[in-house]
Amino acid sequence: MTTYLSLGLEGSANKLGVGVIKHTVTDANAENGFSTDILSNIRDTYITPPGEGFLPRDTARHHRNWVVRIIKRALDEAKISDPTKLHCISFTQGPGMGAPLQSVVIAARTIAQMWGVPLVGVNHCVGHIEMGRTITGATNPVVLYVSGGNTQVIAYSKQRYRIFGETLDIAVGNCLDRFARVLKIPNAPSPGYNIEQLAKKGKKYVPLPYTVKGMDLSMSGVLQFVESLAKRFQAGDLVVDGHQVTAEDLCFSLQETLFAMLVEITERAMAHVNSQQVLIVGGVGCNERLQEMMGIMARDRNGSVYATDERFCIDNGIMIAHAGLLAWRQGFETKMEKTQCTQRFRTDEVLVDWRV
Amino acid sequence: MITLPEQLEKLSKQENLIAQGAESLVYSAQHPYLPQQECIVKYRPKKPYRLPELDAQLSKHRTLAEARVLQKLALGDVEVPHLVFIDAKNGLIYMEKIEGLSVKQWIWNEEGDTEGGAQEAGDKSRSLPDGDVSSLKDTLVLVGQEIGKLHKSDIVHGDLTTSNVMLRDGKPVIIDFGLASVSTLAEDKAVDLYVMERAVLSTHPVHSQQYCDWLFEGYLAVVGKSQKEVMRKLEDVRQRGRKRSMLG
Ligand SMILES: Nc1ncnc2c1ncn2[C@@H]1O[C@H](COP(=O)(O)OP(=O)(O)OP(=O)(O)O)[C@@H](O)[C@H]1O
Ligand SMILES: [Mg+2]
Repeated sequence: MTTYLSLGLEGSANKLGVGVIKHTVTDANAENGFSTDILSNIRDTYITPPGEGFLPRDTARHHRNWVVRIIKRALDEAKISDPTKLHCISFTQGPGMGAPLQSVVIAARTIAQMWGVPLVGVNHCVGHIEMGRTITGATNPVVLYVSGGNTQVIAYSKQRYRIFGETLDIAVGNCLDRFARVLKIPNAPSPGYNIEQLAKKGKKYVPLPYTVKGMDLSMSGVLQFVESLAKRFQAGDLVVDGHQVTAEDLCFSLQETLFAMLVEITERAMAHVNSQQVLIVGGVGCNERLQEMMGIMARDRNGSVYATDERFCIDNGIMIAHAGLLAWRQGFETKMEKTQCTQRFRTDEVLVDWRV
Repeated sequence: MITLPEQLEKLSKQENLIAQGAESLVYSAQHPYLPQQECIVKYRPKKPYRLPELDAQLSKHRTLAEARVLQKLALGDVEVPHLVFIDAKNGLIYMEKIEGLSVKQWIWNEEGDTEGGAQEAGDKSRSLPDGDVSSLKDTLVLVGQEIGKLHKSDIVHGDLTTSNVMLRDGKPVIIDFGLASVSTLAEDKAVDLYVMERAVLSTHPVHSQQYCDWLFEGYLAVVGKSQKEVMRKLEDVRQRGRKRSMLG
């Protein structure tokens, strides 16, 4: 039995995460011939005041301030006293915000040189997918990847994660966050979480624009419309069907509309590729209403839904450590001169040669 | 004529189910007026995952849209199933049965890859099977022409994939008009083509470029004067896709 260790660094948006993972290989010839141990998974989130989004420069400063402390904590918790024993340092190479990505890759390069350990650049989306598969045991699911910056329906074929559907404009998390800003819903722990709590108390469904195009969807129209409703609500004159609409009702209606679109395009992709498993990853994937809706859809197709909790759904270092180690074990390494980050890095650009 | 509740009950028999699409169940059924003729019934069941009021509105809208578009196209030269009968209240559409495979399945068969997921070390493009190149090309050019004719009739499909075009005796027939609408706008047609292009890329990744070239060859051959505008908009839509911000 051989064991491998990887430390992963994530900082593509407002979360800074560092994690250490161990793979214990029992059968080197089998795709799934190894077990996974999470030795540590530390995260620190940059939170802005209600009504404000996070700007690249401030977020990068947050990551720079914290990265050394978080790395030390991750090593301590993993009980790694000699980091030169790590097999690779995995870091998020993209996609994401430029400045925060860069502040974290500098830390990655530094420790790689200090400890003499190779670097592995990881695609953030692939990190989410691989972690989700490992935690849930979903073998070959259709993946709905929903986060602040991404909305994609993905399925594996021929050594790549192929994008079957995606947003034609903004991401679902972005849509929720921007709506939260209008209503000054707090950003801690996350705007999406707070919208979810408010939505639970919503009763009145206010019809919103619903736009799907095959396996793609558009959300900018919904956002514009719901923002204008939110402003009318703040001005105190939002009455629909003789019903005084509340902030809770708006949260409820927005979630119901967006999530119905997401479940619909996921179902379309499942029908298209004849799959019965669906895995939800990404920050919005923690939403229990989304998980519930997906579960009902999957059940009606005699399938099942797989999802993870906030430790793995929300951006984290462990998923980067994991995906990086999968690639490293195939002989992949990112040479120092090739470690620059990229804001746009599509999921299907990565050769997934650890799967058959 | 067969009364509907009875028909619905008959429909739900498992052996009549010929396909479970994304949002519909498709059953083979008897023609309501011509018992000897076979047709299919497309039924949009309730989607319990979404709110009943949203569900009812979407199902009704799509059933009507599909029937309207099929009826409109019945007069033209685009190959689509004949509309037989619509029962909007129950969300049922009766239409002609198309015998044949979907273009998706047919391509997978031609490529010798029944699952659509055979492995391919290193993802290098292997060459197309020799004998089949001409039939693949001819077929995809025909599919492109059919889509061109559709757009020329100012209908956008809304879900152009290789699942939603069938082959009857080697000739394409477009199905599944639930997301279709009438539009003269180049932008709408461009989005339709973009959705198609991306579906080909993800479904038939190894030769997607070649397949798209053939589809466009057929499309451009028939679409006529609006083509410049549509192709320019398509370039815009593609750019938007590439430049789309991935930020939170
Ligand atoms: N006229 C027809 N003749 C034969 N088979 C048909 C016909 N219409 C549909 N089918 C079969 O049923 C399947 C599903 O039908 P269709 O694509 O119309 O619905 P859907 O995919 O559920 O709808 P949507 O894409 O709007 O969710 C098709 O892929 C095809 O196999
Ligand atoms: Mg279909």
